[in-house]
Amino acid sequence: MALTGLEIYKQLPKKNCGECGTPTCLAFAMALASGKGALDACPYVTDEARENLDSASAPPIKSIKFGNGSVLGDETVLFRHDKTFYHPTTLLVEISDALSDDDIQAKLDEINGLEFDRVGLHYSIDGVAILETSGDPDRFAKVVAQIAAGTDRSLLLLSENVEALKAALPSVAARKPLIGSATEANYESVVNLAKEHSVPVIIKAEGIEALNTLVESAQKLGYKEFVLDPGTRNPSQTLANLTHLRRLAIKKKYRPFGYPVIAFTSKAEPLAEIAEASVYVSKYASAVVLKASAKAHVLPLMALRQNLYTDPQKPIQVEPILHSVGEVNENSPVYVTTNFSLTYYSVEGEVEASKIPSYILPIDTDGTSVLTAYAAGKYEPEKIADALEKSGVAEKVNHRNLIIPGYVAVISGKLQEVSGWKVIVGPRDSSGIITFTRAM
Amino acid sequence: MIIIGERINGMFKDIGDALRNKDAKPIQEWALKQQEGGAHYLDVNSGPAVPKEERPAAYEWMVKVIQEVSEIPLCLDSTNYNAIEAGLKLLKRPGMINSCPAEREKIERVFPMAVQYNAAVIGLTMDNKGIPKDAENRIAFAMELVAAADEFGLPIDELFIDPLILPCNVAQEHAPEVLESIRMVKTLSNPAPKTVLGLSNVSQNALDRHLINRTYLAMAMSAGLDAAIMDANDDDLVDVAATCEILLNKSIYADSYLKVFRQR
Repeated sequence: MALTGLEIYKQLPKKNCGECGTPTCLAFAMALASGKGALDACPYVTDEARENLDSASAPPIKSIKFGNGSVLGDETVLFRHDKTFYHPTTLLVEISDALSDDDIQAKLDEINGLEFDRVGLHYSIDGVAILETSGDPDRFAKVVAQIAAGTDRSLLLLSENVEALKAALPSVAARKPLIGSATEANYESVVNLAKEHSVPVIIKAEGIEALNTLVESAQKLGYKEFVLDPGTRNPSQTLANLTHLRRLAIKKKYRPFGYPVIAFTSKAEPLAEIAEASVYVSKYASAVVLKASAKAHVLPLMALRQNLYTDPQKPIQVEPILHSVGEVNENSPVYVTTNFSLTYYSVEGEVEASKIPSYILPIDTDGTSVLTAYAAGKYEPEKIADALEKSGVAEKVNHRNLIIPGYVAVISGKLQEVSGWKVIVGPRDSSGIITFTRAM
Repeated sequence: MIIIGERINGMFKDIGDALRNKDAKPIQEWALKQQEGGAHYLDVNSGPAVPKEERPAAYEWMVKVIQEVSEIPLCLDSTNYNAIEAGLKLLKRPGMINSCPAEREKIERVFPMAVQYNAAVIGLTMDNKGIPKDAENRIAFAMELVAAADEFGLPIDELFIDPLILPCNVAQEHAPEVLESIRMVKTLSNPAPKTVLGLSNVSQNALDRHLINRTYLAMAMSAGLDAAIMDANDDDLVDVAATCEILLNKSIYADSYLKVFRQR
């Protein structure tokens, strides 16, 4: 992001000495903003100003990578319709080291089972947060080793006790876990530990102002692989904090908050917890730590994450394979449409409402609508005939009747010829499907 | 797009007479008429119809009579800052000061006053030596105004930079420079200052004034223009403003967009 003239001007010495070759500092700032000069031309600019100007041209939120492919931060907008959200929220499930070894194993098995296939997409949980609640560094180290041996997922080591982190981190440092939390009381040791092992670290303070102070102190230790935790375990306050942090980082380029944010759920009851986590996934949390690990609880949260992080500029597509609606049989009618999700689900909804079990074949048109695809040459009779053959629908029905969208009636003759199916021109709008099927 | 209705100006005969006779009616009629046309602010200018020493009283009177009939905010237009301050004191809604050039002495008078009365400022990209020809020099003045806003604590998006459009029949080469200036103003700060034009100037003494005005408005809006002091009762012109808002994706399209624009 280019710097504005005013931002540069504020960092200049305001001597108006003219030694840079421009009469005033204001004019020099404007020359820099338009790329017509170099900051080095000013002999009086301070190192601090230079640093501020350098960091102001960096992305608004730093990208923090850890564990097994988890990427946090690196976002640029407040609303996904302005561009897109890039890096889906990393979801972690917590395990306490106070549990028995057997209970830990059982929980880990459950977490490892959190893999889902749905509407052609694969979802999985990203990692495990290991909580030190035992008060015993050796116990924590042992549990971290046990969990690390039992899963490939990303790890978060969570303790405010420096000794516990020191005991547990070395054996898993190669897997680049996220560690935390650095607080006002321990930040020097914890940040230095993170620096020593090159792992990212959570900076935690109660509220925005305390967090600001702590980040600025922590940055002075010469390390910047940070993830922020604005404390307060209360959904409404957390929502406000998440919003402030994202807004200040992007709109005001406020550097101390230019890091991804992690959120922790507070509700114990799983349904309430998932509702809470949904808010954090929607509102800027780069990582969320959950207690719930039952499939039924986690799936809706993952579907929400998937939805929110799709690129709104790209049309959403359904899989271009034969779909069936209801208890299909050999007499079921066969519809063709396109794989643009808006088109497909309009047709599917109407076919379902007709209460006649049917097959629907969405042709792969790169997610464009019927008329867009037709105009772009992506809805040709040959292509439809080919898709029809590959779908295997011929073996599933004992008729050869194919219903096409009314707007492309013009392809019916050619399609009938190349496919060998009897082509029936359906209504122009899918809302006419019910009336149409009754008349058939 | 913020429309500042230009019609309450002592340079027009009916307003000049109204000022001389203390007849509120024409002023109030124009206030309502411009509001209906789509104006968001009303420019208020006594022009030379009132002697200098009586201007503060005249601005007080104009503000009072307009606010009797209309709720829309006012843009106090004068080079006499005492007259503007007299008006600002009576405003029921935060107004606008029209205008302040990039001259230190005037900045020191106007900016603190704007902050005190919560008013926006129209800043002119000129000094006492006149209007620069090219965009670069216009922008240098704009930058001084931006730095002044920052210095005096005027929110930068309450600063409206006017890059000063001149008549196209005698100063034709200025028009593209003004468009470039509007584009460049947006890079001066974040948030950027707003931009404004005295639109009708572009067609002064030219033929087909309405056509020139609305064509230039569309061009300027595409360059990033935020506001214009203009004829709020030129329906074709207001239609262009509404249409540009749609084509720039600033308002969500609806079939009734021309009507919706005027309702705001």
